[in-house]
Amino acid sequence: MRVTDHLKLTLGSVIANRLRSFLTALGIAVGIAAVVLLTSIGEGLHQYVLKEFTQFGTNLVAVMPGKTSTFGLSGAIVNNVRPLSLEDAEALAHLPGIESVVPMVQGNAAIEFEKRTRRTMVFGVGAGVPEVWQMKPSSGKFLPDDDSLHARSFAVIGSKIHKELFQGSNPLGKRIRIGGESYRVIGVMESKGQMLGFDLDDAVYVPTRKAMALFNQESLMEVDLLYASEVDSTALAKRIRQLLIKRHGNEDFTIITQDQMLETLSDILNILTLAVGALGAISLLVGGVGILTIMTISVQERTREVGLLRALGAGRHQIMGLFLGEATVLAALGGLAGLILGAGGAWLLGLGIPALPTHTSWDYVLLAEGIAAAIGLIAGVAPAWQAAQLDPIDALRAE
Amino acid sequence: MRIEDNIGFSFRALTGARGRSWLMLLAMAIGVSSVMLLTALGEGARFYVNDKFSGLGTHLLIVLPGRSETTGGPPPLVGGTPRDLTLEDALSLKRTSTIRLSAPVALGSAPLSYGGLEREVTVVGSTAELEPIRNLETQRGQFLPAMDPRREAPVVVLGAKLKQILFGNEQALGQWVRLQDSRFQVIGVLSPAGESLGMDVGEMAIIPVASALRLFNTNTLFRIMVQASGKEAIPRAKRAIKEIIQTRHDGEDDITIITQDALLATFDGIFQALTYTVAGIGAISLVVAGILIMNVMLISVSRRTAEIGLLKAVGGANNTILRLFLTEAALLSLSGALAGVLLAYGIVWLAGSWYPDFPLIIPRWALVAALMVSLGVGLLFGVLPARKAARQDPVQALMG
Repeated sequence: MRVTDHLKLTLGSVIANRLRSFLTALGIAVGIAAVVLLTSIGEGLHQYVLKEFTQFGTNLVAVMPGKTSTFGLSGAIVNNVRPLSLEDAEALAHLPGIESVVPMVQGNAAIEFEKRTRRTMVFGVGAGVPEVWQMKPSSGKFLPDDDSLHARSFAVIGSKIHKELFQGSNPLGKRIRIGGESYRVIGVMESKGQMLGFDLDDAVYVPTRKAMALFNQESLMEVDLLYASEVDSTALAKRIRQLLIKRHGNEDFTIITQDQMLETLSDILNILTLAVGALGAISLLVGGVGILTIMTISVQERTREVGLLRALGAGRHQIMGLFLGEATVLAALGGLAGLILGAGGAWLLGLGIPALPTHTSWDYVLLAEGIAAAIGLIAGVAPAWQAAQLDPIDALRAE
Repeated sequence: MRIEDNIGFSFRALTGARGRSWLMLLAMAIGVSSVMLLTALGEGARFYVNDKFSGLGTHLLIVLPGRSETTGGPPPLVGGTPRDLTLEDALSLKRTSTIRLSAPVALGSAPLSYGGLEREVTVVGSTAELEPIRNLETQRGQFLPAMDPRREAPVVVLGAKLKQILFGNEQALGQWVRLQDSRFQVIGVLSPAGESLGMDVGEMAIIPVASALRLFNTNTLFRIMVQASGKEAIPRAKRAIKEIIQTRHDGEDDITIITQDALLATFDGIFQALTYTVAGIGAISLVVAGILIMNVMLISVSRRTAEIGLLKAVGGANNTILRLFLTEAALLSLSGALAGVLLAYGIVWLAGSWYPDFPLIIPRWALVAALMVSLGVGLLFGVLPARKAARQDPVQALMG
């Protein structure tokens, strides 16, 4: 039998039972559409979270006081007997490959301007913030690069504080009180929005030394380092470790590189996407059972046809190929329809609800189509085998 | 036709074509059992988290220093404040009757050494009342003694893991360990309780609060843990705490009070939504099974044309035929659903005996919903083939 004849026979039987073929393919289509749609949402979420994290730049290393091996909360951020000092941060700044440093403490205080008060987050930071955290002032400028011992009482406010406290009036040069001390506003940060629940616009930035005095703390909570893009992060982490061990006598700090964190995060999100995809694949399984059922019925109905083909000299393999081909075509057609449905649905969802990010990844799409075809093939095996085993004489007589 | 006849007829039609009936049952069963298992997973996760949270203690309120005015944002969990939450603040809470117990908590990390071994540990400074508030249990020895919280005492209670690391199988009680520069005598070892809210209880060292404040050279408490005198007293306790601290802080409202119930409700909501979502995703497979039922029924209608013609010829009304085929669809989907339910309960039982820690619970609503939905799907997808059968012209149908 020539390939074209083979195709014609297969397609012919698919088309002859139009409604039946349509419904069988529909079963697979629903399954594939579910898988594609769900993985699209998963992928979209993946990219969204990664973007949230990389908005602070990618070449970052964070050093925290206290030795912990897990991401859990360490008591050392609150209190510790071996503080991570401003001098440590300055020493780190001199390491080769380090471009900028932000020594950070964070707390909560009341900000007063004239009669209005707002309680909010206060960050004690250095001049490196625009570079390291990649956030720029929208008006005025950021904290100057003062000698950390004699930092002037300047403050930079977030856009929400600007709105709430100053209600639109120009804040530059005005004096605000933070925890009872007077600061001069020299800049307003551009709006950054929420980051994992923290509203970065509802914050005030003051020099680190001032914040440490305000909160009566001896230790920094974190030192963020920006390194040159050609530097290897593992080697850099090793140099940081050596330097701090030399200064402190032992390893009482934790180093987390952004690469490391992104990798862990990415792994988790990938598993999540796979898991929701697998949930959708349950429907594919049911669709496979559908193909099996319909093919079994189809073989029964066409017993005489099989007998005739065999009488004309068709081999068992050819008969088997015919039915296998039919099952695969049904599944692949359904898969294709499902792809269009799923990808279209994801696209519409992205348009309709912009807050829900979707991204159809071609890897998953191709995988889903492959799985659909494979399911058809597997579901077709038993009926096709049954057809191939028919005795030509019995089959011809059957009715 | 009587109902018994109706059901009997449909039943024989199904058993007549056994192979395909089995396959349709299988499809339905996969769908139903996956919906039920996914709901069971979601519910199990919800119970697990609920359990963890209630393990923290009952009628619990947590007082944190600092307050943020961003609504919906997280509370200021770590970080400094210009005005400390002091030990005196914590002690002043004893004045209100809405509170049964209260324990100040100071937190930090310091190196703990015994013999030649040293380890950076989380140090918790508190009082004897922390034990009942947080449901802590001592495995050996005793918890911190009840005494004036303003006084220091050189005693320490170790977490189970910490004891194992420093002492191995040796006796720890009565031994002296060194925390930074001070010596403390081990008076108790906690039972292994696992992780709670990101903090490993097993690696904690608990010392009297005054000693901890001196160790870290600070006046600031990290938290005040409060147990209200009853469930109804929680809102009153919250108000009372706020008033007392506000008076002490010159009229400034600068603390955040978290109630355990609020935390629980948030998590409960999240897990509920999650359960519904996964169950919904699983239910897609029920639709696929429905499509299969429709497909097979359509084939069966066209095969049984002669039979339908005969039924009509002996006086079967259109409605009777319609009912016959709908009964067949309903029987199929219901028995498939039952098989699915049995399968799901079987898997849950198996999983329960393998992983007793993680409870899998099939909620009753999921059982009812799965049965109803599968019956609904069967009937819905059965309508089209049944109508096709009912509308056939008897004369032509008889001719086959």
